[in-house]
Amino acid sequence: MDRSEIQKRVTSVVAGVLGIDPAEVLPASNFVFDLGADSMKSVELVAGFEEEFDIEMDADKAREVQTVEGAVDFIADYLK
Amino acid sequence: MAGSPDPGRSRLESIFSPQSVAVVGATRVPGTVPYDIFHNILKDDFQGTLYPVSPSAKSIAGVKAYKYILDIPDPVDLAVIVFPSSVVKLAMEQCGQKGVKGVIIISAGFREVGPAGVQREQEIKDIAQKYGMSFIGPNCLGVINTDPNVHLNASFARRMPAEGSIGFLSQSGALCTAVLDYAHAKNIGFSKFVSFGNKADISDIDLMLSLKDDPATKVILMYLEELTHGAAFVDAARQVIHEAGKPVLVLKSGRTSQGASAAASHTGSLAASDEIVDAAFRQAGVIRCQTIEEMFNNAIALAYQPLPRGRRVAIITNAGGPGVLTTDAAIHERLELAAFSDRTRDVFKRSLPVTANIKNPVDVIGDARADRYRVALGSALEDENVDGALVILTPQSMTDIDTIAEEVCNVAAAYDKPTYCSFMGETDVASGIGILQRRSIPHYVLPESMCRAFARAHDFSIEKDRRLTPAVRFSDVDTAAARQLLDAAIASGRTYLTPSDAMKVLEAYRLPVLRSAVAQTAAEAESVAAQLGFPVAMKVESDDIVHKFDVGAVVLGIETPAAAAAAYATILANVKAHQPEARVQGVFVQRMAGAGDEVILGVKRDPAFGAVVMFGLGGLFVEIFRDVAFRIAPIPLEHIRDMMHEVKASPILTGARGRPHRDTAAVEECLQRLSQLVVDCPQIQELDINPLIVRTQGDGCAVTDARILVSGAGHAP
Repeated sequence: MDRSEIQKRVTSVVAGVLGIDPAEVLPASNFVFDLGADSMKSVELVAGFEEEFDIEMDADKAREVQTVEGAVDFIADYLK
Repeated sequence: MAGSPDPGRSRLESIFSPQSVAVVGATRVPGTVPYDIFHNILKDDFQGTLYPVSPSAKSIAGVKAYKYILDIPDPVDLAVIVFPSSVVKLAMEQCGQKGVKGVIIISAGFREVGPAGVQREQEIKDIAQKYGMSFIGPNCLGVINTDPNVHLNASFARRMPAEGSIGFLSQSGALCTAVLDYAHAKNIGFSKFVSFGNKADISDIDLMLSLKDDPATKVILMYLEELTHGAAFVDAARQVIHEAGKPVLVLKSGRTSQGASAAASHTGSLAASDEIVDAAFRQAGVIRCQTIEEMFNNAIALAYQPLPRGRRVAIITNAGGPGVLTTDAAIHERLELAAFSDRTRDVFKRSLPVTANIKNPVDVIGDARADRYRVALGSALEDENVDGALVILTPQSMTDIDTIAEEVCNVAAAYDKPTYCSFMGETDVASGIGILQRRSIPHYVLPESMCRAFARAHDFSIEKDRRLTPAVRFSDVDTAAARQLLDAAIASGRTYLTPSDAMKVLEAYRLPVLRSAVAQTAAEAESVAAQLGFPVAMKVESDDIVHKFDVGAVVLGIETPAAAAAAYATILANVKAHQPEARVQGVFVQRMAGAGDEVILGVKRDPAFGAVVMFGLGGLFVEIFRDVAFRIAPIPLEHIRDMMHEVKASPILTGARGRPHRDTAAVEECLQRLSQLVVDCPQIQELDINPLIVRTQGDGCAVTDARILVSGAGHAP
């Protein structure tokens, strides 16, 4: 899967879980500071990514990911 | 910066009295810190403008929300950051760009959680410095200002306290909520209420100094868990107490003394951290309290009533037993029962029943109603022999409790002398107690607490006006010589100075060191002893033997040259038998001090407070009773005298039970010179002069043994 596809699907998961317009989800957006993800939403995001990409993420490392761009990189590593 | 004596008053203005506040990271979920902080500011009637900043909410509690603080069209004075710690730096960066000057960081997850948190804390400090912002926290409950013109409850406490004249500063947020609940039940109000958390920027010292100049604050209470800048804290507290005349009461936790057992000297093991804190507080005039209850018992006395000008109290009671209890408690606290004037006694005779006791304590009898209390209290306060009144009430069937409470308040308000009350009981007296509390008459459940509070208030009235002479600087000392000896020891890798070098350091500061020399042979010991004059004492000179008595390496009372030669051989033989691996540099020969009492002087360098000087009587008094006193150097003469009096065994030096009066003035001078030595020579980590022999008055004293532990970490000023 190429990076732009990952980006597109990450944006879709984020917008769906957080209930926001996909246009607001920018690569540099911080999940907490810019998009308002609280701790519950962060758990839902991880679950959403795992389902979307059919991967199982390391929960501790996933918690360290702060931005949309970071999530794309993190997921791309799993898909290699 | 944290710990500096910088008053930081203007820095705190935007935090205590903002015109506009943004809650950054607010949410719409009640019961969460981000929501409750916003809601508390809103519901508690903040007098300025409030903005919620939330990345996800359009509005919170009906107030339009902004996605970023930068989106707010108007200036923002104070930002309260409630985001998780991982993004606080992003919020801080935007606060800086917005031109915010004051920030409260509620969020936890910084220094208190380990290395990652330490780094996060440093990042926010760097951002604050870049933009010239000041912040309280992180990891705190928040800030409350009850000033009606501000009325800011930027905290997640359950309630906004009433307006009052007590400022409360706490390192623990959780304790704050308990204190607010306690104070609410007792009708105690506050001027400012601050939880300062990790004090990464604005410190406890900054806050204390800001309350010094706060006209709404009369009394400052602090809860502390650590004192990282002890010396600066003491300086600041002294300013508050002696310049502004405001009492500082501190509840300091962590009284245990880890590390004392690892100390290398007597002074090191005796000067546990908590004892140093005690000494430092005493030196500054801080009132140290052991419990929250004690702190508030003292605080209401100091905040509500005039300070007592003396210790003469009038006790007015409607019950004999409680009157006696109060008398006992008063005497225990070194208060005096006032002797009433003839005029006062005449009034009592005319106005009270014949069965009333018109001496002190004044018993107005169990059936007393408000009129008797009014006459008794008014006449007592009128009497020039009375410095304050302690009013006791027990609830009999005819006791008009509320009316008596009102009358007590009315009478007390007419005099510039303190009146404290103890309405004993619970249910029946509750309403009367409420009247007293609302009208600022200190009330105590127990007479003992009431007497203790009176005594502390009087102690403070003396302390605040106490003017100390600056610590003496002797000009006849040879600082260069002392430093040279200390530096040489450090350069040669020594931890301890040799006994002879230790004596030379003390000699350089003109401490009365006995004449001595080191002998390398038995013959040399003979001749050296003869030159010094008999009797002499001899002990091994060795870096490796700390406890010389234990290995038989000390011989006292040597009267002849032959005995000196024999002692030399004995000492070396004992060392060889008990500690054969020890390196021996010779045998130290010293003139004996003669008759006198033994005292110990010592020094320990504390990381928070600097050089701490100790005084105690020698032998058992130090070893078993730990009967010692401490002060932070440099020490004014008044505090040197205080520390000598604090030692319980000190009457031994001052002629108790027919003993000779010792030369205490010479001891004072030794303590002054020692204080100057350790200020001038930071290489000294620990020092014992043990014993100092104190001779009869006029004959001075003599240092017979000294140990100095050095470290190269310190640098001479």
